[in-house]
Amino acid sequence: MLEIKPIFNALRRSKVGAVLLLIQIAITTAIVSNAAFIINDRITYLNQDTGYPEESIFSFGVMTFGKERDISQQFEEDEAMLRNMPGVIDAALFSSVPLSGSGSSTSLRLKPEPQKSRTIPSAYLFADEHALSTLGLTLAEGRNFDINEVLVTQDRSKLTEVAIVSRAFLNEAFPDGDGLGQMVYMGDAPFKIIGVVEHMKGPWLKSGASDNVVIIPFIQAQSYQQIVVRTAPEDRADIMKQMEDKMLAAYDKRVVVNVIGLDENKAQYNASDVLMMRMLMVLIVVLVAVTALGIFGLTLFNISKRTRQIGTRRALGARKSAIIRYFLIENTMVCLAGLLIGAGLAVWLGHELISRFSVPPLSHTYVMITAAVVLIMSLLAVIFPARRAARISPSVATRSI
Amino acid sequence: MFTHYLDLGWRSFRRTPLVSILMVLAIAIGIGITMTSLSVYHMMTVDPIPQKSEKLFHPQLQTMDDGEEGWGADNLPLQLTYKDAVNLYNQPFPDHKAAMIRTGMTITMNNSDLRPFIESVRATHRDFFSMFDKQFIYGGPWSEQQAESASPVAVISQELNDKLFGGRNAVGEQIFLDEISYRVVGVTQDWKTHMKFYDVNNGAFLDHEQVYVPFERIPAQSIDTWGNTQGWKFENINNFKDKLQSELFWVQFWVELDDAQAVAQYREDLMAYMQQQQALGRFNREKLEFALRDVNTWLDYREIVSEDNQILVALSFMFLAVCLANILGLLLAKFMRRAPEVGVRRALGASKWQVFMQHIVEVSMLGFVGGLLGIAIAQLGLWGVRVTQDRYESLATMDMSMLLSAPVIAITACVIAGVYPAWLVCRTTPATYLKTQ
Repeated sequence: MLEIKPIFNALRRSKVGAVLLLIQIAITTAIVSNAAFIINDRITYLNQDTGYPEESIFSFGVMTFGKERDISQQFEEDEAMLRNMPGVIDAALFSSVPLSGSGSSTSLRLKPEPQKSRTIPSAYLFADEHALSTLGLTLAEGRNFDINEVLVTQDRSKLTEVAIVSRAFLNEAFPDGDGLGQMVYMGDAPFKIIGVVEHMKGPWLKSGASDNVVIIPFIQAQSYQQIVVRTAPEDRADIMKQMEDKMLAAYDKRVVVNVIGLDENKAQYNASDVLMMRMLMVLIVVLVAVTALGIFGLTLFNISKRTRQIGTRRALGARKSAIIRYFLIENTMVCLAGLLIGAGLAVWLGHELISRFSVPPLSHTYVMITAAVVLIMSLLAVIFPARRAARISPSVATRSI
Repeated sequence: MFTHYLDLGWRSFRRTPLVSILMVLAIAIGIGITMTSLSVYHMMTVDPIPQKSEKLFHPQLQTMDDGEEGWGADNLPLQLTYKDAVNLYNQPFPDHKAAMIRTGMTITMNNSDLRPFIESVRATHRDFFSMFDKQFIYGGPWSEQQAESASPVAVISQELNDKLFGGRNAVGEQIFLDEISYRVVGVTQDWKTHMKFYDVNNGAFLDHEQVYVPFERIPAQSIDTWGNTQGWKFENINNFKDKLQSELFWVQFWVELDDAQAVAQYREDLMAYMQQQQALGRFNREKLEFALRDVNTWLDYREIVSEDNQILVALSFMFLAVCLANILGLLLAKFMRRAPEVGVRRALGASKWQVFMQHIVEVSMLGFVGGLLGIAIAQLGLWGVRVTQDRYESLATMDMSMLLSAPVIAITACVIAGVYPAWLVCRTTPATYLKTQ
């Protein structure tokens, strides 16, 4: 037998406390469901598969200021030296490092300039025939660059005429699935697609076109170069430590900077997302704790106000369980009303966030799960004070009359 | 009277320590969380150069063909082409202006066992220093003449001066930038602002450059940018000379305009410049467009405050609201229990107003203590932010205004929460309670 009607009437007589509880529960539900959703979105983003064995790859930058050596030739020698180092699987010069947040992108065309054409935005990397092996990628279709196709030059007017692309790029450029062997153009420079990699990411994970990557076999000798190295994961730290000395021993008029693992490089790019995630987690935990505390305090207050009343009920024969049930039902009623408003508030907040910021639409499952958790938490917060109420002796009722 | 109320408040705190501590904790956590996100937000939005921000302007020219889409909210290019920057610099008006790019160079010393290292370098005009109120410790900017002849002269930062010359007056000394000998003409004081408002292209909160060289060195030494280069049309760019002639955007440009009249005149000048360029065959557009934004408008436009931070600020204020509802509930409990006592006081002649004030003072005390504790919690939070993202090193701190506003917000919040309970208490009719005594 549930005493909903009398409890409701009792509630109406002490509205303020109930309303405060209701507000807390509503806002808590709204914030927690949205925050949990954003957290989950970030976790999915941070844990996505990039296609690279991140723990076995590292990169570094080399700034050459000496002028007496031919840079192209120097880097050919450097590459050979690196590839022969024990523990190194492969190494190559790259115009930009994937996942690092820095690189070049362009819109590739299906027809050369100046013809009108559909364009596909894509990141592009200049590297040689060791590119795939250095990044730990395998070809899904087609072939790798031939050594004769790799152009090493200081003159950008010449470009090689082949390219390896990611599947995502190929599908966007040639939705009919006949992309391998077709031509794409950078300005008026043609590239024949000779190979496809199933899955690889460009320098910017947050860009809308992060899956579109084109590798072009081209080494442009510049004073600033980036080298990517792949090792066995357990050897990486050791080899990273030797890098600066090895490179300077080969030629000392240069500076080696930013020797960094690919996973660490990615983490730096994503630092703000980790920060957001942590702050939201703290917010959720503290918010739930404060709300639980609020429910706890308010129930205690209610009980102290109704001590005589409870004593009277007990004197009239109410069981301890009936007293506990009373408070549980009372709390549940307030809580359900709060959750109902909170769910609406959560959806509204979700809409507000979407209209102002680039967040995905809130999934309603999150609202429901949050509501369930808040309800359970509120019941737990009530049980302790309710049991204390149940221990009130019937004699209290008679004492002060 | 006030001290008496403080005393009463303290007694009340001692009488119900548990509830009081709970309230202090609630307000402290609420303030702590709110101040953590608010401090980062505040540091991101604070005016980086308040004494001059309304006089410094960053022009943008719409040099793209009709139908081409740009990067900003209004499709205008975010930087200038090299030739536009040079042309605008060579115009007679206004007096103070500077084009600039960020680049990087290897630093070596002639006779030293110092390992070569890379520093980022700003290539800019000599007015840069006076426009952005950059103070010199030694020397000063390079001369007009040195600029015109693209002399290898450099201004270095205090930090670099300490590293290379042990902090002594380095004016006249030589440093080698990319193996070219530069003479140091000035040493600047380090920036007080953490925001690189004059160049937000690579992140507005990166470190300031340590070396400054004349803008005229760019063509002389083929100095390329370390910042963003954006293009909108296909151009065959095979060497650095092509890049200088191209329509690529990679140069920042600032002017100093002292009053509204100067702004109006410069707007006319910009329009005249665009018309002149159009006559020369550039700008295939129906309508000529440009923008002239001052520092704060520019920072707004470039959206340097991260979305995440705005979301966090909004959520943490909602969180503060929950804490307030919580405190309100606890205050109700606490004050109502005191009704009999208040009844007696009222009967002895205390006015409603006095009772009300007494409770408000008590609540303010809670807020004050909670605010102080909140600052401690916020420091903990900011430490967490710095650990997670080292780029926020200088952002995740509380400046004086934030330190002062924490207790103010806390007390205000508590007073708001306390008004209703205090009002309920002061309405207590003495008779009811006198009867039961």
